[in-house]
Amino acid sequence: MVTPDLTARVGSLLLKNPVMSASGTFGYGLEFAPFYDISRLGAVIVKGLSLLPTRGNAPQRIVETPAGMLNAIGLQNIGVERFIGEVAPRLEDAGAVFVANIYGRTEEEYEEVARRLSAVPALAAVELNVSCPNVREGGIAFGSTAKGLYGLTRRVRAATAKPLWVKLSPNVTDIGEMARAAEDSGADAVSLVNTLLGMAVDPRTRRPRLGNVTGGLSGPAIKPVALRMVWEACKAVKIPVIGIGGIRSAEDALEFLLVGAAAVQVGTANFRNPNACIEIVEGIRDFLAREGIRGVKEYRGSFLP
Amino acid sequence: MRANPRFVGGRILRNVGHGIFYRMEVAVPDRVEFVPGQFAMVSGWPGNDPLLPRPLAIFRSGGTRVSGTVEFVYKVVGRGTALLSGLHEGDPLSITLPLGNGFRLDDPDRTWWLAGGGVGFSTVFPAGMALSQGRSDFEMFLGARTREQLPPRDWTPGGNVPGRVHLCTDDGTAGFHGTVGAALRARLEALKPPEAGRLSILACGPREMLREIAETAGSRGVPAQVSLENHMACGFGVCWGCVTEVREGDGTAYRRVCKEGPVFDAREVVW
Repeated sequence: MVTPDLTARVGSLLLKNPVMSASGTFGYGLEFAPFYDISRLGAVIVKGLSLLPTRGNAPQRIVETPAGMLNAIGLQNIGVERFIGEVAPRLEDAGAVFVANIYGRTEEEYEEVARRLSAVPALAAVELNVSCPNVREGGIAFGSTAKGLYGLTRRVRAATAKPLWVKLSPNVTDIGEMARAAEDSGADAVSLVNTLLGMAVDPRTRRPRLGNVTGGLSGPAIKPVALRMVWEACKAVKIPVIGIGGIRSAEDALEFLLVGAAAVQVGTANFRNPNACIEIVEGIRDFLAREGIRGVKEYRGSFLP
Repeated sequence: MRANPRFVGGRILRNVGHGIFYRMEVAVPDRVEFVPGQFAMVSGWPGNDPLLPRPLAIFRSGGTRVSGTVEFVYKVVGRGTALLSGLHEGDPLSITLPLGNGFRLDDPDRTWWLAGGGVGFSTVFPAGMALSQGRSDFEMFLGARTREQLPPRDWTPGGNVPGRVHLCTDDGTAGFHGTVGAALRARLEALKPPEAGRLSILACGPREMLREIAETAGSRGVPAQVSLENHMACGFGVCWGCVTEVREGDGTAYRRVCKEGPVFDAREVVW
C-alpha cells in the first residue's frame, strides 16, 4: 500500500499535514511537549496575543454544556514581547511550525502586534482574531461587519509581510460576505469558525454561570454549524479556508476537508485528550490509505452535493 | 523532581462505594510517581456528554517497575462522577497524570496539621502517608456534615494513634461539634508560641473552610498550604479556565488552579 501524501497547502505555506491546533486550546504549544513531538503537527497556533499582558475575565470562566462547553477566558495572555523573547525560540527549537493568533483593542494595536511579530523569522503566519466574543476588544467589533473587517485587515496587511489569516466569527448573518471581505482586503486565508455566542444561567441562584455572563460555545455540539459555514465560505472565496469547530476525530476532520477546507484546526478536543491532534493526523493517514486515496490534496473538495 | 504528565489508558480493578465515597483502583501501564496534592484528569464514559474529564486527587499509587496501579477517592457530585461510579472492574479509563503542584513537605523540623473537609480528605491523606514514612509528627482534622459522612477509619493514615485524628461534625454526631476550621482555631489558640512556631498546616476542603483556616493561620503567623479546586477543562494549563485570584506585587492576578496550583500558599490567595 502506498503511503498517502498528507501535505496540505495553505496559500504559500506547505504544511506537512492538514492538522493544526486551534488558538486558545493549546496554550503556547510547549505544554504539549510531554505528550508528543509538536513538530509532527501541520502547525501550532498559539493563544491569542495582545500588545501588553492581559489579565482576563473574572471567574467563573468555563461551564460544561451538552456535548460542549462555554468559555469566557477573556484572552488572558503573556503579551507579544514575552512571546517573542521566551516562547518563540523554544517553539523553533522544538521544530514546530507555529502561527501567532493576535488581537488588539484598537486597529493601531493590531498593527503594532503584527509588526513586532514580523521580526520573528520562524513564525509561519499571523492569524487575526476578529471574533472573540468574550471581550469587546477581542476584535468582535471589527469582525461583525464586513466593512469593519475589511478596514482592519487592510491595515494589518500593510504592517506585515507574513502570511495573514483571518479567523471569522460564526455570529454573523452571511459568512460568505465576511470571507469575501477578508479576501478583498488581502488576507491569505480565512479560518472558521470561532465560538458561537451562548450563555448558561443557574435557575436556583438566578445568576449567570459565567463571570462574563455570556461566553463562547465550542466542542462537538457546534460541528454541524461549523461544517455548514465552512462549506459556504469555500464557495464564496478563492483563498484557502481553514475549517474549525467541534473536530474531535479523523472522521470529523475529513468532513471539513471534503467540503473544501484546505486544512483544519482542532480545539476543545485537546482538553479531553492531549493526544487528540496527533491521533487525528494518524487517523487521516489510515483513512486515505484504506480508501486508496493518494493524498489530502486529492481528497479535499471532492464533496458530491 | 517532578514527573512530566502523561496521558494513559487504564483499566478499573475495583470501584467500590463506602458510605458517600467511592474508592477506585485502576491498573495503568507504568508506576505513577506523585507528590501528595497532585491530581489526575479522568474520563471513561462513552460519548461526548459530559465532554470533559474530571479532576480527582491521586490518593495512592503502587505497582512494580513494569506495571502500576493508581487509586482515587471521589464523591458523586454531578453527572461525570455519577457516570464514574457506575463503571465496573475491567472498564477502560483515560487518565492524564500527575498534574499540578502538590504540597511542600520538605521541612523535617515541622509539626504538621492536616485538615480535610468533606471529600477533601482524599487530598490530605497522601500527605499524611508521606509524613508517616518520613517520621514527621502530624495531627489530622477531619470534618463532615454528620458521622456517616466521615471518611472510613481504616483509610486514615495514623488513624489508630490516639490523639492524632480530630473528628468534627456539623451536627455533633461525632467528635467536635462544629467545623474543621473552628476545631483547628480552638486548638491553635491553646498552643504556646514555641509550639505554634514549629507548626505548618495543609488543608483541602470547601472554600469557606480554607478561607477560615487561612485567616486563623495568618493571625498566628503559621504557614498554611491550601489545595483549591475549580471547574477545569484541561487540567494541564492550556485552557486558562480554572483561574483563582492571587496577590501579586501591589495588585492581584489570575493564576491557574491546575498549573500554578492546586496547592497555594494561603497568604497568596484572594478569598
